[in-house]
Amino acid sequence: MTRYLSIFLTFARACLVRDMTFRANFVLECVTSLGWMAMNLAFYLLVFTFTPEIGRGTGWTKEPFFAFVATGLIINSIVQALFMPSAEELTEMVRTGGLDGILVQPLDAQFLLSMHRVDFSAFANGLVGVGLLAWAIPRLPQVPHPVAILLYPLLIACGVAILYSLVIMLAAATIHLGRNQSLYDFWFYLTNFSRYPAEIYSGPWGGPLRALCTFVIPILLVVNVPARVIAQPLTGQGGMMVAGTVFAAGAALGISRWVFLAALSKYRSASS
Amino acid sequence: MHNSSQPRTDAPSAASEPVIEVRGLAKEYRVFDKPEGLMASVTGLFNRKSRVVEALRGVDLRVEKGEFVAMLGPNGAGKTTFLKLLSGIITPTRGSATVLGSVPWERTDDFRRRFALVMGQRNQLWWDLPAAESFRLHKEIYRIDTPRFERTRDELVDLLDVRKLLLRPVRDLSLGERMKLELVAALLHEPEVLFLDEPTIGLDVVAQHALHRFLAHVQAERQMTVILTTHYMKDVAALCKRLVVVTQGSILYDGSLEQIVDRFTSHKIVTLDLDAPPDRAAIDRLGFPCEIRGPQVILRIDRTRIADVLPGILRGQGVRDVSVEDVPLEEIVAEMFRSGSTAGTDGATGAPR
Repeated sequence: MTRYLSIFLTFARACLVRDMTFRANFVLECVTSLGWMAMNLAFYLLVFTFTPEIGRGTGWTKEPFFAFVATGLIINSIVQALFMPSAEELTEMVRTGGLDGILVQPLDAQFLLSMHRVDFSAFANGLVGVGLLAWAIPRLPQVPHPVAILLYPLLIACGVAILYSLVIMLAAATIHLGRNQSLYDFWFYLTNFSRYPAEIYSGPWGGPLRALCTFVIPILLVVNVPARVIAQPLTGQGGMMVAGTVFAAGAALGISRWVFLAALSKYRSASS
Repeated sequence: MHNSSQPRTDAPSAASEPVIEVRGLAKEYRVFDKPEGLMASVTGLFNRKSRVVEALRGVDLRVEKGEFVAMLGPNGAGKTTFLKLLSGIITPTRGSATVLGSVPWERTDDFRRRFALVMGQRNQLWWDLPAAESFRLHKEIYRIDTPRFERTRDELVDLLDVRKLLLRPVRDLSLGERMKLELVAALLHEPEVLFLDEPTIGLDVVAQHALHRFLAHVQAERQMTVILTTHYMKDVAALCKRLVVVTQGSILYDGSLEQIVDRFTSHKIVTLDLDAPPDRAAIDRLGFPCEIRGPQVILRIDRTRIADVLPGILRGQGVRDVSVEDVPLEEIVAEMFRSGSTAGTDGATGAPR
């Protein structure tokens, strides 16, 4: 474990050196990312000029909702920074045979393939998320329970694990397909469902969608559960959701590992 | 080394444990044919036609410690597939293989720490970073302790005279410079087995020569087992004593460089430099295949008859100089490739001429 951490830090260092080599590109990426996020925040502020709460009686008033948004920003920025660059690169590596060089190295291939690139500019959103959370928490209707404060980082980690598992499974599809340039698009469509409180998925269409995104592809647990724990009062139902999220994260990691190894055994390399 | 269809072999038959042992190794790929035209492409979305390509057809191999083996073959012969199987990158359709006692496609860390693969057409260094950064990563991945890493790196860097390149981004280097640094990276963890896939492809003569000297030196010093695939006879002649000729996934020849000449050619090349261009009819009367280039005559004479006929030829008037040489290796191998291609269709292996 220590060795893997040490290798990851070496990768991260190399990526930082590279990012600093192309400083203008790095700054532009940060600015683009922050600009997109600022537009989203402005949109949410606009929404709250029309309504005090998202969904009647849901508890998602302005400050709790911004804690929700902050949680989403933190989780997504971790995934975008640590895993997405490598997963996106995998598509090209499979097509060109670059994956060969990874497979001969004495390290776990999944680790190498999912963590060898770090996009430091993606941490910009995460930092804003932390700032937004720091702004929202003192303004919440209730002070977060100490247990909630302890659970929050664990649930953030679970959310990251679920998203990471999805990334890995999508990337594994690349090995079967040989080319999968829609990886990022598909990822965006999927994670879109996680950006809003689960309560908005109700009614004849919303109910089944909520069930699908909770029990089949547990994307709704990713942000909703940690955000609910920190921004809303702890309840018995909340405890079930926490346990479910921890279980879903473990199961997602296990399944994605199996899918990845199965895909790797079918790897046929590219002609040189 | 030999394939399942029993080609001629002059490979050493040592009783010791081989570093590489391969039995009946075969690799098949299913490929999809893409028909031409829009309609055919649309139809192909629903009904794709596929066929099985045999990249490797049941190959046997035994390589001892410290051998430097060259694999020579035309494009698509199966050389790279063979190296990918031995490196554990892909899994075979049939057959077995062990490298350093491990099954390559099980990809154990212990095995992967003991070999290296360099592919001339693939870049394994970080493109945007100086090679020194890639070396640092390599040190961590292969768990090389700092004193050993620094000693090996400095030794390799000095041998290839690339110290001044270490801090330049890899993307700014020439192909030859990049390949030298690829080799340094591959050898940092002091592998026992080195697989080289066309390492000199695209390099100029100077760079090729530098790599030859380096590889010969390092291999001899470390007693490394090396398998080299190449298209260039210069690589083979400079580095290897043992040659394996592959076509269409099968091995046509496995043996020494010297013996390939004896086994696959029945004649020698006799070149006569005359005072003046000869009379064509007089040369034809000698009864050997010939080529006339001005005052120079090139005869192909049966090697068993050289001693008998050469004095008579030299007694002819106007011979200023004479040379007797073996058929160039390139020519022999090209002929083997051609006969191998034919053999592939009728199930036989190449026959000596």
